Amino acid sequence: MDNKPVYPILAKFVFDNTGIFYGERDYYRLDSRIDKIIRELNLSSEDALIEHIRSGHDQEVKAKIVDICTNNETFFFRDQNPFNALKDNILPDFIDQKPMSEINIWSCACSSGQEPLSILMTIFEKYPNQTIKLDATDISKTILEKAKSGIYNSLEAQRGLPIQNLIKYFQQVENNCWKAKPELLNKISYGEFNLFSNNYPREKYHVIFCRNVLIYQNMENKNKILNKLYDSLAPGGYLIMGAGESLIGSSIELEQKSMAGTMVFQKKDRANKVAA
Amino acid sequence: MKILIVDDSNAIAMVVSEYIKELGFEAYHASNGKDAVDMISQEDIFDLILLDWNMPVMDGLSFLEFNQQNHLTKCPIMMMTTENKPEKIMKALELGALEYIMKPFSKEILELKIQTLKKAAA
Repeated sequence: MDNKPVYPILAKFVFDNTGIFYGERDYYRLDSRIDKIIRELNLSSEDALIEHIRSGHDQEVKAKIVDICTNNETFFFRDQNPFNALKDNILPDFIDQKPMSEINIWSCACSSGQEPLSILMTIFEKYPNQTIKLDATDISKTILEKAKSGIYNSLEAQRGLPIQNLIKYFQQVENNCWKAKPELLNKISYGEFNLFSNNYPREKYHVIFCRNVLIYQNMENKNKILNKLYDSLAPGGYLIMGAGESLIGSSIELEQKSMAGTMVFQKKDRANKVAA
Repeated sequence: MKILIVDDSNAIAMVVSEYIKELGFEAYHASNGKDAVDMISQEDIFDLILLDWNMPVMDGLSFLEFNQQNHLTKCPIMMMTTENKPEKIMKALELGALEYIMKPFSKEILELKIQTLKKAAA
């Protein structure tokens, strides 16, 4: 592989702005992204891109580069087990054992919106009358616009979404696309959020979905983000990470629990802390 | 897992058959609903039927109606068709189809749909 001068400069820029770590062996993953940045910013060459990064630039350009260098791969009910754990274990823990008026959930890297919609469909099937506040955030402004629209083409709509859910919760719109119904979209608060640099709400969330995000961070930043997520969890709240992700190397005190074929991580509630 | 593809297009049947084999399953082919009825009547060995809608002799909807009236098979049926209007999808579900794939689709979509059906059956 060529060792292009643009690699370390772009990698450092992305790291400084997002915490996403492209090590030398990941540089090949920047190739198509470099081409796209050059195309979308109308630059003449990789050297021009280097100059652009070095010379400082406005927020819009920064946002464009961050958009292109983040991974937006997602689909409905991805990995399935976390949604079963939510429905069969976590929600009953809050709703049946400790009735409360509102459950706060955060999909903290929601990409094009399939995850928060999957969360809501899961809850509606079992607890149709439960009050839910669902925050869905992402670092990428562009992908967040797609999430807000709730519109998916036929291939996206079929990736992981059972046909009964498609018929029940989506309406067909032009160009053979499908749009999530207002009963779903109106329940979600979408917003830009940089896990690396934004201030987190404190002890707000009963459940945080942070899946396949921290794998792109180095250990130091992973720990920083995990600590902030910990602070954002309500006592007794659950952190749900991606399949195969773990807290290894982290010092945060979350109890690992096996539920519905997946691992979830629970913060002690206050009663437990006193008892301990 | 034995999967019966019911589709009058040999080209589509071939592509889907390749997908199925790549996923580690066995693929069989019937050219229309009537052929499928004959094959199943002879030996009801299938674990999943992938059923096209528009076919000569007996179309997919007629196959569903025939199956509902004659209890031909309890094997799960997944529509695999270009018909994509919600009212048509609902009609097929009412007549006993358990899943629905709108053409065109990818191998990954087929795999995810098969996994969902397998989990539901487990």
